[in-house]
Amino acid sequence: MTSVLVIHPEKCTGCLRCELACSYVQTGAFQPAKSVIRVAPFEGHTSYAPYTCTQCAEGWCMTACPVGAITINAAGAKDVVDDRCVGCKLCTIACPYGTMFYDPDTRKAFKCNLCGGAPACAEACPTAAITYDDTPTADWLGDFAHERTARLLELR
Amino acid sequence: MARRHLIIGGGTAGINAIRTIREEEGERSEITLVSAERPYSRMVLPYYLDRSIAESHVYTASARVLADWGVKTHVGRRAARLDTKANACTLDDGTTVEYDDCLIATGSSAVRAPVPGADGRAVHSFWTLDEARAVLGAIRPRSHVVLVGAGFIAFTILNSILSLGARLTIVEVAPRILPRMIDETGADLVARWLGDHGVSVRAGVTLARIADTKGLKRLVFASGPAITCDLVIMATGIKTNLEWLQGSGVTVNRGVVVDEHLRSSAPSVFAAGDVAEGRDLISGAAAVHAIEPTAQEHGRVAGANMAGRDVRYRGSVLINIVEVCHLDVASFGAWDDPKAEVASGVKADRPAYRKLLWRGDRLTGAIILGPSSDIWTTNDVGMLKGLVQSGVALGRFKAHLARNPFDIKPAFIASKTTGRLLDETILGRPAKAPGDTPVAV
Repeated sequence: MTSVLVIHPEKCTGCLRCELACSYVQTGAFQPAKSVIRVAPFEGHTSYAPYTCTQCAEGWCMTACPVGAITINAAGAKDVVDDRCVGCKLCTIACPYGTMFYDPDTRKAFKCNLCGGAPACAEACPTAAITYDDTPTADWLGDFAHERTARLLELR
Repeated sequence: MARRHLIIGGGTAGINAIRTIREEEGERSEITLVSAERPYSRMVLPYYLDRSIAESHVYTASARVLADWGVKTHVGRRAARLDTKANACTLDDGTTVEYDDCLIATGSSAVRAPVPGADGRAVHSFWTLDEARAVLGAIRPRSHVVLVGAGFIAFTILNSILSLGARLTIVEVAPRILPRMIDETGADLVARWLGDHGVSVRAGVTLARIADTKGLKRLVFASGPAITCDLVIMATGIKTNLEWLQGSGVTVNRGVVVDEHLRSSAPSVFAAGDVAEGRDLISGAAAVHAIEPTAQEHGRVAGANMAGRDVRYRGSVLINIVEVCHLDVASFGAWDDPKAEVASGVKADRPAYRKLLWRGDRLTGAIILGPSSDIWTTNDVGMLKGLVQSGVALGRFKAHLARNPFDIKPAFIASKTTGRLLDETILGRPAKAPGDTPVAV
């Protein structure tokens, strides 16, 4: 079995270190705008949870790519091969989780590749809200978010 | 068990079928490919046109790869006749190929507006690689290019034409642009955006003829002023390549009618991609979805079934995305369902637009438009697709989204859409990476 990013949303403080670490390892610069893990606020920014690619079994991004530019890396992550990607965005519309990204500067798609097996987000998280464990992937946020959107739904 | 597979058509559906047969089969079978062209991806031709990739980059399965996969090829040949009683296909050079089962994946081709001059000099289509080469060879910086037709295909090459330094005018017979991809509100935003980026749009005009004048092309319309330009590109629609199936006994409606296994009315004949009339996932109705993702999914399901598996296909979701001068424009599912409940929101200054269509508390279609530099546009594109594809019950989030159509993410996450989607695979098993297709032994 390959390891996956496990999200423990109740431990997230919303400090955004994961986004900083992710962007630094992925792009070489601290630019959260290019992070592929995104901290989502809930209940008017009273709680937070990081959201990222589940490395799903279908790999909708990978099967959709018309030029075979998305492959599976040694860590078992779906990974964009930059010099194959033409920037057609088909993966962004095929991924039903909204975890494909597109960089208008490089004209390439990009996504979580588990940093090749040493995910920077998990390492950077000070509260262990993100861990890298040998376990099947799952919906880590559904129950947490369901509880924490009750108030949102009552607002008018 | 079929020992001899014949794949007719080397596009996305055909190549995916071949790969999947090799992935799924227990015992090595014989695969023959008939393809009028060397297999390449039509999706990436706009990037060949703008010179951001080399021609070598467009090919999906080189002769070497096909040899590695143990595929016999008839490249440059077209299927001329299918005899479903004799299980034989005759090619345009008279060769006959016998099969145990075969896949019809002959795709579609471009059609030009039926006007005088449509076949003249400097009038192009943009559908095949040959046509792309011709357009690339003809456009010069500061050329004035007229795109006839403002549909999806035209919009895929719009950025490329501009990046080559050409001046662009788009003419469309319908009253607005992108008539089969987005609604009027969206089309108005895109038309204004195009104007801001120096592209002239004339919608609601009927082309009468194309004439030659002093080395230039002159487009004459039923009413309104004529347009003079250097080059005309006709993007006036496509038609399914079905004619050759006359007399084959295969049931044809708008496409080759297939069941949930992608099998046609002839038990040993499958069909996939643009040429197949399969099922629309959202409405359950028979539909031809001439889009790349459907060709890919059809091809894989057909390939698995040809390899002896029993894979049922639930249907395809109509999805389209184009980028127009850094503005993303996408639509999903039943985006034009007149019976759906609708919620929408516009931020005209960005511009950004969301339209959500509902049956009960399930999202059945959506339109999204926003700057491609907005990360949330890209994220919402995927999540809207996930909501439409999964048909997850949104319950109280329906009212929330009606009030806040831009607040997709909390609705997606809290409705536990991820959990609904994680078990979904097209072939009932994890997909394999593109390089992992078993090679011939």
